[in-house]
Parts: sequence; structure tokens; C-alpha cells
Amino acid sequence: MSLEIINSPLFATLQDQGRFSYTHIGVTNSGVMDEYSYLVANKILGNKLDTNIIEISFSNVEFKSNVNTVIAITGSSCEFFINGVSKNTWQSHNIKVGDSIKIGKILEGSRVYLGVKGGFDINKEFGSNSTTIKENLGGIDGDRLKKSQILPCDTFVQSHNTRLKDTFIPKYENELELRVVLSYQDEFFPKEQIEKFFSSSYIISNEFNRMGCKLKGEAISCDINGIISEGISFGAIQIPSDGQPIILLKDRQTIGGYPKIGSVLSIDCFKLAQAKPSCKITFKPIEIKEAQEKVREFYSSFN
Amino acid sequence: MDFKLASVDSLIIYFGNEISADISSKVKNAYLSLQKLNCEGIIEIIPSYSSIFITYDIFKYDYEKVVELLKNSITTKSNESNDEKVVNIDVYYGVEVGLDLEDMSTKTDLSIQEIIDIHSNKLYDVYAIGFLPGFAYLASVDQRIAMPRLSSPRKQIPKGSVSIADTQTAVYPQASPGGWNIIGRTALELFDKNLDSLSPLSVGNKVKFNSISKEEFLSQGGIL
Repeated sequence: MSLEIINSPLFATLQDQGRFSYTHIGVTNSGVMDEYSYLVANKILGNKLDTNIIEISFSNVEFKSNVNTVIAITGSSCEFFINGVSKNTWQSHNIKVGDSIKIGKILEGSRVYLGVKGGFDINKEFGSNSTTIKENLGGIDGDRLKKSQILPCDTFVQSHNTRLKDTFIPKYENELELRVVLSYQDEFFPKEQIEKFFSSSYIISNEFNRMGCKLKGEAISCDINGIISEGISFGAIQIPSDGQPIILLKDRQTIGGYPKIGSVLSIDCFKLAQAKPSCKITFKPIEIKEAQEKVREFYSSFN
Repeated sequence: MDFKLASVDSLIIYFGNEISADISSKVKNAYLSLQKLNCEGIIEIIPSYSSIFITYDIFKYDYEKVVELLKNSITTKSNESNDEKVVNIDVYYGVEVGLDLEDMSTKTDLSIQEIIDIHSNKLYDVYAIGFLPGFAYLASVDQRIAMPRLSSPRKQIPKGSVSIADTQTAVYPQASPGGWNIIGRTALELFDKNLDSLSPLSVGNKVKFNSISKEEFLSQGGIL
């Protein structure tokens, strides 16, 4: 009982919420880039919220089903076919043995999530199925998914489909405002540089992957050049010597030595995960108290 | 101890602003006291040269609460019972694996044997672990063999490569791109999925490199 990959996906990996408590030995957290789409998929399927899922970038993955099960596609809007018939994303679908499932072109956004009821039955490494390719950990053999691979999963039938209300389906615009908690080395950035950072708009460059997102725009300068290497949070905004901000994401290195002006709110990084190169980015400061309230609200809405 | 916000669910504690044995020992002691605390809701603890980064569960603490908890629980004083664990790493320093030995010999005016002796005659402190799983930043190497990073990093450095960058030394736990100067290779696994501790090294340990022959290296499972 399984889903079988029948083409060669460009970039699809098995992920879950991430790998925790191993960063002290250099193992990154990893995990899904867009937790909103991930959590919704699991909610639709009635799964435990930390159930694994397939994260698909750059489109075009085809599966053959060797099981009767229930699937859901969330994230980017994309072409999605079951046995050649176009289907809705953000809802559950019953799948039968022999069915073909195809994720075609990504239309808006940049990451598609495919979840199955009960999740894929794949051994975890250090408590997680998240694939970190540079560390050769998680997923299947620590690598991206490949043609002919078998993803074991259990039999389920659902009597009716569950669908997310349209109002909760995100729109992926080409402009994004990210909320920032000033932190880390912010005191080493002169006041006018911080003002410049919040009043300028940036463009996402082509250097955008699971590790981080490099922006292009007004250079920000810092009174210090580098720092002694220290722990890096999800969403940390590094300012290297060229002054172009880099937002560090799920596969970031655990420690590093660039000055950081602050950190993008985690829930805004999930939106960033769906943005594309050339998307316009602006920043807005947020106080820690409010930031923590917003993040608590986000996760509470799934319980 | 200086507490600073890092992100919505993390903070960083600074113990100073330089790389020194004194500050590193404070970090180590604080790290050990945090580990003993074994506090629910503290998710990540990343010690580095002069800081400790902490991620916490914001459903358990807000920022002020967690800072208060940590201020009351962390001690930087040394505990006499803390054994200073010395990890021995056997290294084959042959030129076929020590890719930069000849170049370093020219630059330093030292013979290859002298470089090996200088490198393997010292106890190094584990200051930080990061970059790759099990990649430990060790310091300080003798100034005579301190060597800046390569001007252009190698695309692939073989697993187990023992290396030098400025006054730091390290072992690549897996094949990886990198710009450090390679002087030898070890068969020791620095990140072993089958080990309970995953890595034989931890911040606060000491490391001793021992020069071994090619035969010994191969018998330990080393690969040329």
C-alpha cells in the first residue's frame, strides 16, 4: 500500500514540522517552508498536526496509487489532476488503487503540499521525517524524491470530502510586508540605517532556497563588520558586507557570523516561502509582546 | 550575562565579546547548568564561542518570563565535578590526504613533519559546533601553522579531513564544500547516526590529535 512516484520530480522532499533539539551538534531544524499550508493539509485530512507531507517546488510530480486512501493538496495554486480530471486543491479526495495523481504547473505561489491520511510510513531520523539534503538526513536516504520511489501509506476511505473555506485560501501576491522583531545586533545599526531598512522596498533575488532568501535593494550598513559566530534563529535577517539582507529559513546553518538587524516573524516567513524571485518585500517593526500573541493565535487556530 | 532578543521565540545570552578561554569556560559552565536544569519548554540550546542561543516554547513562556527563569538558573561558575573530557582523534597526515601540507610547508618555511608535530602536540578546546552536523570549531593552533582560508574554496572536501583556518582547526564530518587548509584525515566518525550522543564532541571538551601511520589509518577503516 503506497503512492509510487512515476516521473522524475524536479524538487520534491518529504517534510514535517522539523527536527528539534539537535542544533547543539550542528543539525538544522529543517521542516516545511510554509507551515500554514502544511497544517491546513493535515487538518483537512484529520491527521495529527505533525504528520509528514511532500513539499513540491517547481511543479510536475506524478504518482500512481497502490492504495485506497485520502489525499489533500494545499499551498500554491497549481494544475492538479486525478486520472486526467482537474480537481480542486485545499480539499480532501478519495483515491483508489490504480489512480493517477498529477501535480502539473504551479500557477501562483511556489510550494505545493501533498498529504495523505495517516501520513507516509517512513522511518524518522532524530524524531523527524524532514529531509535536509546538505546533511543527508531524513526523508528517503536524506535526499530529494526520485522516480520509482515507493511511499508507503495506509488504507482509508472517507465518506465525504472536507474543504477549507474559500476565505482562508491564501492569495499569493507579488508584494509582501514582513513583520520584524528588532533583535540580535540591532544596536550596532545606526538609527538612520534602521529607518532606511523599514522605509525601503526590496526585491527577492534568485538566491532563494530552503536555507535562505537573499534580497536586492537599498544597502544597509552596520557599525561592525562581522561578529563572533553565534546561534541563528528561523527568520533571522543577516546583513553581510554588501548590505543586502538575507532572511534565514528552515535549512539555515545553526551558527554564523554576520550581523543581524532582527528576525522576521515566523508566521510571515511561511508567507515568504510562497513568494517568488522579483516579489517586492517591505518590512515593518513589531514589538515582541504583540509578535508572540500573533504566533500563539496562529497555532491556536489549528487546535 | 547579557540577555538579548533573537526572534519571536528565541533569545541569546552573551558572556563577552571576544574569543577567549575564559569566556568559553563561562559558556561551557552555563551550558552545563542549563542542561542540568532540563527545563520543559526550552527547545534548543546552541552554545558558541561567547554566547548561548536558546529557543523556547512561547505557549509556556513569554520573553520576560523566560529571561527571569534563565537568570535565576544559569551559573557560570565551574563545578569541580565537571570532568574535562579529552577526545583522542587519530590522524593520518600523509600528503595524499593532507592536500595542503606541501603548500603550507612552503608558506611557513616548516617541514611537513614539523607542521604535523606542532599540530598534534597541543590540546584544543571545542569552542562551538555548527556549519555541518558534528563540525567542531577547535582552537587555538600554534601561530606558526596558522593559515588563512583558501582564496577559492574546494567544491568537495573528503569526509574526515583535518583542517586549519587561521588559528582554528576542525574535522569535516562529511564530504562538503569548504575553504579550510587540509592537513590529514581521520577514520573517526564525527557524526554517527548510530551513536546515542551522535557526536563524540561537545562544547567544553578537549581534543588531542595523534599522528598515526597509513596502515593504522586503513586498519581503522580509513579511506584514501
